[in-house]
Amino acid sequence: MNDDDKEAGMPTVLKVEGLKKSYGKKEALLGIDFEVQAGEIFALIGPNGAGKTTTLRIVSTLLTPSGGKVTFLGHDLKKEPDKIRENISYLPEEAGAYRNLKGRDYLRFMARFYADTPEEAEASVKRAEAIAELGSALNDKVGTYSKGMVRKLLLARALMTKPKMAILDEPTSGLDVINSLEVREIIKRFAKEGISVLLSSHNMLEIEFLSDRVALIDKGLILDAGTSQGLKDKYQAPNLEVVFRSALK
Amino acid sequence: MKKFTNLLVKEIKELVNKQLIVSLVMMMTIFYFIGNLAKTEMKKAAATQNISVMDLDQSDLSRGLVGSLQSANFKIDGVQGQSPEAAVESAKKSDTYLLLVIPQGFGDSIARLEPKSISTYTFLRSFSIGGMRKSEILRAVISATNSYLSNDVLKKKVPDVPPDILKTPIKSKDYVIVKDKMAEGSASAISGMVYSQSILIPIILFMIIMYSSQMVISAIAMEKQNKTLETLLTVPIPRTAIATTKMLAAGIVGLLSAAIYMIGMRSYMGGMMGDLRSGGPQVNAVVKQLGLTLSGNGYLLLGLSLFFAILCGLALATILGVLAEDFRSAQTLMLPLMLMILVPYLLSFFADVNTMPLPVKLLIMAIPFSHPFLASPNIMLGHHAAVLYGILYMAVVFAVLVFITGRIFSTDRVLTMKLRWGKKKVVL
Repeated sequence: MNDDDKEAGMPTVLKVEGLKKSYGKKEALLGIDFEVQAGEIFALIGPNGAGKTTTLRIVSTLLTPSGGKVTFLGHDLKKEPDKIRENISYLPEEAGAYRNLKGRDYLRFMARFYADTPEEAEASVKRAEAIAELGSALNDKVGTYSKGMVRKLLLARALMTKPKMAILDEPTSGLDVINSLEVREIIKRFAKEGISVLLSSHNMLEIEFLSDRVALIDKGLILDAGTSQGLKDKYQAPNLEVVFRSALK
Repeated sequence: MKKFTNLLVKEIKELVNKQLIVSLVMMMTIFYFIGNLAKTEMKKAAATQNISVMDLDQSDLSRGLVGSLQSANFKIDGVQGQSPEAAVESAKKSDTYLLLVIPQGFGDSIARLEPKSISTYTFLRSFSIGGMRKSEILRAVISATNSYLSNDVLKKKVPDVPPDILKTPIKSKDYVIVKDKMAEGSASAISGMVYSQSILIPIILFMIIMYSSQMVISAIAMEKQNKTLETLLTVPIPRTAIATTKMLAAGIVGLLSAAIYMIGMRSYMGGMMGDLRSGGPQVNAVVKQLGLTLSGNGYLLLGLSLFFAILCGLALATILGVLAEDFRSAQTLMLPLMLMILVPYLLSFFADVNTMPLPVKLLIMAIPFSHPFLASPNIMLGHHAAVLYGILYMAVVFAVLVFITGRIFSTDRVLTMKLRWGKKKVVL
């Protein structure tokens, strides 16, 4: 999706207004605003401690905001977190799966929370099998998986229920080049099927490849936002890394 | 409900793993094996015993004493020699546990009413109950022989008066009163009987509360350590259901584990204490007459008390589990809970809470886990109101703990609350 699509009136899925979050005296978010449209991949980029993960955790209903407003498909995050949970899927940066469960059992266990019937749950599992491409390893316990396999399993879990929005925190964190490429391809493919994606990453190249729009975040504030190309043009920079450095100045 | 069941089944699957099954099977096997071994030893002790006897007197009386031993199921192994030292040396070489040396002139001395010592030697080859029983039986035989001899003498000297009257001119009848019931019997024998019959109850309570609490605290800590809690908190299921299923699963598995453990324990204790627990039909009858047994209602009250104690343990463990950062810190956090269970557990063996100073009594009563430990004696002694108040108190504590748990799970605290020992403060 690009700016033209946005202008063409794709519906807004997520609306974040003046979002603030503090942990005691420490202020993690100072009031940020952004929107995500249907089928759009929206990325937050910034250094450690910038507020990316806090933002994703709030949108995924894990944390409650200290101020501001978050609306997802018209549901207020503070008032109707359950409605939001039914339509999102969150992949934390350091997520794990139950080590004693077999890969397929883990997928089935997670699918049942979103399905109304066993058939629906099984359809989700089938979809996850296709996404993860782990083959017969799905019959093994998760405890025997490599880091890359666990990440693929978790990504499959996040996308199998066809959520309205997938919230992915550093989706390729800790993966090798090949696995990272595969994960990016999967994300791109699902976004084309209409799933909105809100993701965060340190990897500027990954963001350029994946995202429709990018928000540069630092010290709890969004410095700038736009398409990768738009930002590069604006800051006359060859890549997003230079864009980020220029925006900081 | 489907989602709740889905989560509950997963929690039970997580808890019932190979390690748990193997440890339970091993525990059962070990207890069963030791119990059977102990039972065999006890049977051996009760069966015919060998005793080495050196009779240097060879009088009618000494032969009568040896005959009494034979009647008491002893197999006599005669030792030849001229001195007690030679008898000891000879017995040392054999596998005998007991040696009796009857000195020369024994019969004549007794006939002259001059006390003459016989010597008994016990070879302490082990500290087993069976070994101890052998010397007890020997002592009982000698005591019976003494009684026989003194009766014999008294009959000759005072033929008109029964020896029993001369030996024990003051007769006493012992009565025990429990509330409005009274029965004839020895208080110490009855107490011993009740104690031996109910010795398993506090052990069962301790095991169940500890098992289930440890499971829930570990389950939450493992969710944190394996980084699965965050994902679980974003699925469409009420947060309270996440806490409830963990408690419920731990409760179910804890109860089952404790039941299996107790079957093994019962087999072990049955072997070790089989004899001690049967105080004879007379004492049994008195115990029943005094109502010192658990009736159906008594078991119901005890079960209710235990149930609420488990609930309190689970709720408290859930809160402590949230404070843990990982599995290792969860084990440390079990300490306060363990102490709260251990204090009433140990007190139930050694002390009477009712006779303690008021502040100490209040402190113990404030611990919810004290009540199931006190329930068993209270039910037997008819203090049902005390048991019911205990249950009510635990229900209130449980409600408060569930409220706190619900608040924690419905806010950020479930992720951000940590107890850091180094900093000695709760980080919210």
